Amino acid sequence: MIAINHAQIDYAQLLQLVWPEIILVAAALIAVAVDLLLLRKQTPRLRFAVAASLGSLGCVAAILRLVLAPVQANILDGTLIANPLVRLVQIAVLALTIFILLLSVDSKFTRHVGEFVLLVLIATTGMMFLVASQDLLVIFISLELLSLSLYILAAFSKRSLQSWEAALKYFLFGGMSAAFLLFGFSLLYGLSNSTSLLAIAGAIHSPSLNPLLVIAIVTTTIGLGFKVAAAPFHFWAPDVYQGAPAPSAAFIASASKVASFFIFFQLAVLGFAGAEGTAALPHIVRGWVPVLALVAAVSMLLGNLVAITQSSLRRLLAYSAVAHAGYMLLAIVAHSQQSLAALLYYVITYALATIGAFAVIAVVEEHKGSDQLSNFDGLARQAPVLSFGLAIFILSLAGIPPLAGFFGKFYLFVTVLQSSKSLLWLVVLAIAMSAVSLYYYLKVLKRMYVAALPPDAGQFESPVLSQVLVAALAAAVVLLGCAPHLLLRWIEAALQASGL
Amino acid sequence: MNWIVKNLWLIPALPMFAAGIGALLKQRSRVPAACLAIGSMVLSFLLSLVAFAHVLGNRANGIESFNFGWFQFGNEWLKLGWMLDPLTAVMLLMVSFVGLLIFVYSVGYMHDDENFTRFFCFLALFAGAMLGVVIANSLLLLFMCWEIVGLTSYLLIGFWYAKPEAAAAAKKAFIVTRIGDLGFLLGMVWLYAQSHTLLFYDAGAGALESASLTHLAARTTVLGLSLASAIGILIFCGAAGKSGQVPLHVWLPDAMEGPTPVSALIHAATMVAAGVFLIARIYPLMAATVSLTPTVALQVVTWVGAITAVFAALIAVGQYDIKRILAYSTVSQLGYMMMGLGVGGVAVGMFHLITHAFFKALLFLGAGSVIHGCSGEQDIRRMGGLRKYMPITFLVYAVGMLALCGFPLFFSGFWSKDAILHAARDWNISQAPFYMGAFGALLTAFYMTRQVYYVFAGNSRLAASSHDDPQLAAHFEDPAHHVAAHPHESPAIMTVPLMILAAFAMLLGLIGTPAWPWFQSFLDRQQPILSFAAFSAPGIIPVMLSSSTIVILGLILGWYFYGRKPIATAESPDPLGKLQPQIFSILGHAFYVDAFYGATLIRLNTIWSRVCDWFDRFVWNGAVQTISYLFLGVAWIDSSFDTYVVNPSFDGGCASVSRGGRILSLFQGGRIQSYLRMIGLALVALVIFLLWGAKR
Repeated sequence: MIAINHAQIDYAQLLQLVWPEIILVAAALIAVAVDLLLLRKQTPRLRFAVAASLGSLGCVAAILRLVLAPVQANILDGTLIANPLVRLVQIAVLALTIFILLLSVDSKFTRHVGEFVLLVLIATTGMMFLVASQDLLVIFISLELLSLSLYILAAFSKRSLQSWEAALKYFLFGGMSAAFLLFGFSLLYGLSNSTSLLAIAGAIHSPSLNPLLVIAIVTTTIGLGFKVAAAPFHFWAPDVYQGAPAPSAAFIASASKVASFFIFFQLAVLGFAGAEGTAALPHIVRGWVPVLALVAAVSMLLGNLVAITQSSLRRLLAYSAVAHAGYMLLAIVAHSQQSLAALLYYVITYALATIGAFAVIAVVEEHKGSDQLSNFDGLARQAPVLSFGLAIFILSLAGIPPLAGFFGKFYLFVTVLQSSKSLLWLVVLAIAMSAVSLYYYLKVLKRMYVAALPPDAGQFESPVLSQVLVAALAAAVVLLGCAPHLLLRWIEAALQASGL
Repeated sequence: MNWIVKNLWLIPALPMFAAGIGALLKQRSRVPAACLAIGSMVLSFLLSLVAFAHVLGNRANGIESFNFGWFQFGNEWLKLGWMLDPLTAVMLLMVSFVGLLIFVYSVGYMHDDENFTRFFCFLALFAGAMLGVVIANSLLLLFMCWEIVGLTSYLLIGFWYAKPEAAAAAKKAFIVTRIGDLGFLLGMVWLYAQSHTLLFYDAGAGALESASLTHLAARTTVLGLSLASAIGILIFCGAAGKSGQVPLHVWLPDAMEGPTPVSALIHAATMVAAGVFLIARIYPLMAATVSLTPTVALQVVTWVGAITAVFAALIAVGQYDIKRILAYSTVSQLGYMMMGLGVGGVAVGMFHLITHAFFKALLFLGAGSVIHGCSGEQDIRRMGGLRKYMPITFLVYAVGMLALCGFPLFFSGFWSKDAILHAARDWNISQAPFYMGAFGALLTAFYMTRQVYYVFAGNSRLAASSHDDPQLAAHFEDPAHHVAAHPHESPAIMTVPLMILAAFAMLLGLIGTPAWPWFQSFLDRQQPILSFAAFSAPGIIPVMLSSSTIVILGLILGWYFYGRKPIATAESPDPLGKLQPQIFSILGHAFYVDAFYGATLIRLNTIWSRVCDWFDRFVWNGAVQTISYLFLGVAWIDSSFDTYVVNPSFDGGCASVSRGGRILSLFQGGRIQSYLRMIGLALVALVIFLLWGAKR
């Protein structure tokens, strides 16, 4: 392991540190070059296959670099950090990106294949930097790199008005949120005269809560709440989930969530250390904890209730994402080492199930035109493998044992209660809302397995790659549900090694 | 340990295995079923021969046994095991040999029955269980096999279950023997409580070995009985049930409703002998005493045996059904065996058991042949003149009849019965059993002569009366011969076993004569000595002479009543019945024992069951009804609570949940301006919440 710990920058060592990101960018450039120079005349499918393979190879190379040459570094007071925990999140993000790239192979939404892969990899690079920093500036820049890539990805289906509209809303909403975030960051800088999270924490530490800090906490929450689609900053989510091309939507819903939640946790726990307050009813003490508790409660309530009335599976998943964001915010509210482990386990398994669900949606849309729930009637008789996969993903999202979603929820709630008994009301609310969520999840299953196939529905051939992808994801969800220690042991080891 | 001792279990296991396979066969597969049963029986017979040879060659070995632990409870192991001694060897040989002959005979007799396969399955299971009884070295294992024997007996008696009499007879046999078995079970439990083992022989620790016997004989219990005697009498209850001793004999004549081979196998040769065998097996227990006089248990056995011998013989005189006569005769002979065990010991009783097994099987199979030849007719009044039509059957039947009567010198029954009478005369308690036995012998000769004259002499009375009786027509065991106008000889597969049995009925007596008591010395593990001087021992010749005289007197009496003037028609009254109609009627109704039971025990039971029924209906049922109404009431309250309180509130809750969903989704208007306004609102709300809502 290479250890770097300097107040000054040694560029040779910095290069060592950012090798994975360099590999990614290089892979992105190679992919776009190959696509534009060599494959212009080919079918989109071939171009997607080549570009996605190159992109995936880049991700694999980055993962290999991370695994084989681990670096332990902390450059310029947390401007760039490398430790086992960061590495774990980066590997998770890269692995999810590979799934997204493979998922895009069968899609036909664009002819700009090289650019699509380029943007995905650039966004991934943004996430890599995002999770590897404890400095406000780097965090903001990485976040913008990520967000700007995502706005374009959401608009990538140029022939679809819906995609345009969604992207525009996403962009406007995101721009506004970024402004709030930047405002909050500037307040924090003003309060502490530093952009380092640890320095900020040291500066804001005072018995009473500075009104400026209050504003900073709220605006920061708004900025990151937008990224994780927590209510009431979630309004972009249903439109983007519905309008964006399936791979883009899956990307926004999975990999971006993993990185955003991780940095949200870091920012709140490290940056606002000393200003926690408590969320114990009825004696709420000022701080970021009650704010997040409130946001979590609203997210759980709103996400689950509104999901009931949805008639489109993508919008349903969007609201369920809001609800899940609420559950996951509980882990930040609990802010213990255990709850970070629970959060990572939850968000990774959630991302797997969501990508799987979008993979199935992509195939169904391809053959039936839209993701309306009525299009899933009797799907089990048309596409048994995909239906079974979707059933597993949906049940995992609903938290049915023995799937990964169940253990994630269970472990999350347990760690929240372990950190503080006073959060019981939030856990009770979460469990009650989980029960409500069963209704709309099972509705999907009922359509697939119980409802009769419409008489005019023909048979269709599911693409082999999608089937393999869905089967692999479903197997991962079942495996992680039955043997959670496979992932959890790794997360806990990384947490121990990083001393967080 | 010798190979055969270790693998003795194969002898019962093979037929049981064959029964198991047979149970799986289809109804059509008749040949495989018969081959399987007979094949397993042949193997068992061969193994029995090996076992017999082993015992014969190793007289000095003592009792060889093989025990194993079955399961453990607390600190004690429940052990089972098997044993090989002369008694076992002789019984194995007899059961497997007679069984084999009857199996072969059944192939012919049951040829046209549609449940041929099932029949052989039951038959094989029975044979296996019986052989299990014989080899058991544990009272528990013996009891288990004993119960399987009881079960198969039930199945076989009720084999023609469509016939109400057969079903009733099967039930009766099962219930009556169960009454005896209750005593057996109690005795077994008591024995276990006292000696802590149910193994007979276990290298000094067995229940029938000296340490245990000394303890059992020395302790006295209720009524001044020694423990050994009390337990022995309880176990004897089981034996009495199985062996049809008075007063539990009532099932045996009814059991004749089963197919004739079953009657021969179960109710003549083997199963009924199981009771006698059981007493022989636990003879050390029965005879265990500290004084010199015979134990109370043996006295009970003797008296019950003697009474049974006379009682059943009397009834046999008044019967008309060919199989019932034989059945009562069997009961009577079983009484002799019990008496023999009581007065003379194992060898005396067992010798009669073995000889009786052969000649009674012969008689039953002969009767079966007669019934087969007469198209299912069983009433001796409607037979007659069969000597002409069925010469072979007549010959072998005559041999069996003379053996049963105990005709001097050339027939086995003479020697075995003589041994019993001789022992009875020497009994030091009372001379009465001897005189009862002698009277029984007279009766035996008389009723057998009567039967033979009725069946074989004179002219055939069959054609005139048989076919117009619908009930008898229903009894036809053999529809193929339904239209036969006159009786006919049976096929070779039936007559050959008869001839083999006839040969044994004559020759078997030679192994137990006073001059060369091979059988007795074999059981006692001594070297037999050939000595004609033994005839001159005191008491031998007078007893032989007197019993010969009695037998011949019985035969002459029989001829006087039934042979002098041939019986003309089926309706003409019995010559003896003409002489003493009242007494004859009592005999014909078997002393009204069944009626007596019906009027007393069964009546009592019926009344008691009515009382219980009434109690059930009005007391228990009332209580149960009350409780159930109580629960119904609670359920009703619960249900209305559900319907009117829980459901509406749940529905209301659900409605408000989805209403909430609809209201909240109104915020999602699709206009970006309102979305952005929401952020501003949230900012203001959160700041207000933090600044004023929460505590400092």
